Formats: sequence, C-alpha cells, structure tokens
Amino acid sequence: MEFAPICVYLVISLLLSLILIGVSFLFASSSNSAYPEKLSAYECGFDPFDDARSRFDIRFYLVSILFIIFDLEVTFSFPWAVSLNKIGLFGFWSMIVFLLILTIGFLYEWKKGALDWE
Amino acid sequence: MILFSVFSSIALVSSVMVIRAKNPVHSVLFFILVFFNTSDLLILLGLDFFAMIFLVVYIGAIAILFLFIVMMLNIKIAKIHENVLRYLPVGGIIGVIFLLEIFFIVDNDYIPILPMKLSTTYLTYTVYAEKIQNWTNLETLAMIGAIVLTMHKTTQVKRQDVFRLLRMFRKTQE
Repeated sequence: MEFAPICVYLVISLLLSLILIGVSFLFASSSNSAYPEKLSAYECGFDPFDDARSRFDIRFYLVSILFIIFDLEVTFSFPWAVSLNKIGLFGFWSMIVFLLILTIGFLYEWKKGALDWE
Repeated sequence: MILFSVFSSIALVSSVMVIRAKNPVHSVLFFILVFFNTSDLLILLGLDFFAMIFLVVYIGAIAILFLFIVMMLNIKIAKIHENVLRYLPVGGIIGVIFLLEIFFIVDNDYIPILPMKLSTTYLTYTVYAEKIQNWTNLETLAMIGAIVLTMHKTTQVKRQDVFRLLRMFRKTQE
C-alpha cells in the first residue's frame, strides 16, 4: 500500500523516543535518586507554604480556539484548491465569500487586541 | 481484518481508560489515543483525507483544548473521592440510549440522492455552499464570543506612535 513510508516513519520515531527514554532509565543509578526527601519541593528549608503553580493564563485558551478556527478554514481550503477546475467560477467565489467572512472576524480580533502578548 | 480488530479494540480500551484513569492528564492522553485509532480506521475505509484531517483538527486542536482545560482546573490527584457507582443510573441510561442509536444506522439507508457529479469536493463548494456559509458564520461568531469572554482589560501593549515620533524628530532638526 502507499502508506508504507508513513509506517516506516512511525516505527523510526517510536524507536527513537523509546531509546531516548529507555537509556536514561537504564543508566541512571537508582541508589542515588528518588528518595522522598529529594523529591519534595524546596523553599529555603521551610515546608512548602502553598502550591507552586501560578494561575493558568486564559490567553492560551484563546490562542487555541483561534487556532481551531483558522485550522478549519485551511481544512476547507484543501479540497477547494484540489478541485478548482471542476467547481468553476461559482465554487471559486463561494470560497472567497467564506474567506471574507472569516477575515472580518480576524480583523475584529486584531483590532480588539486579542493577538497581543505583553 | 486483523488491522480492523487491532485498531477498534485499542480505541475501545482507550475510551474506557479515559474515564477510568486517575490522573486527568492520562485521561487526555488516552483520549488522543482514541482519535489516533479512529483515524486509522478511517484509513482502512479508504478516506485518507478525513484521516489526516482527524489527526490535525481533532488531536491537534480539540485534544489540546481539553488539555488546557485540565491544566486550568488544577486538580490535586490525592483529593479526588472516587465513587464509581454514583453516576451509574443516569450514565447507564444515557449509555444504553447511545447504544440503541447504533441500531438505527446499521441496516438503514440514509444517504441522499446525489446529483450527477459525485465528487465530494464538487458538492461541497457548489451544491452545499449554503451549508458551508452556516459554518463560516458560526466560526466568526465563535471567534467573537471567545474574545468577548476572555479578553483582559489589562493587556496593555506598549506601542510606538510613529507620527508623534516623526514630529518630534522633525523638531530636533530645526
């Protein structure tokens, strides 16, 4: 089948990641590592006051949602680009209309400052 | 046949592990595994474009969204009081309803009568163009909704006012 190169790629990447993890497991000396005192959080000798995690920034979520939207736009553009000779002028302009509407949304978020990270 | 059994069984086991894993990040990882196997099943059906789109959209976007939610919730693993049987009545009823829905699809013919040119891409952009229009409106609405819900007023970015700088520069030349 024509998916053989993908299979080869998958096997090689799997092998590489397993080697990278496995070698560190094999060659780390288990006597020096991972006793409870070593694994606990360090706060200048005190017991930990609070959880060290900071609040999750909501801008990551916004970036992710915007990625989904434009990713779906690209997904719709793929078959459109492939079949442009069959769908003719009407198909071309319908896709341009879709892109225009998404561009309006993009303009809104640009001007609103959703893409800014200080 | 072997490939079908392998992929579908791993998908089923992973989907059970999604709800049974103690660590929520493990749940999301099993979720990703479900999508991988579903994508492989699509390849077996001959829908290679949809398989790749599954990988890109479902795993690359939606599963990441789930991962962000898990990161946002800050669940301490030791404090979860796990009571499996609590959700059994309602969850069981909903699960049985989903199972019965499968029997509606199995031997019935729901594919509509297609026009002359049967290519999906041709249909998408000409015959069903209005349906795609609905999707674009929905996506723009989703964008605007997401921004309205999550925008900080405090994201002040320091910007340069180019015209002011030019005017000040011109004053220094005099």
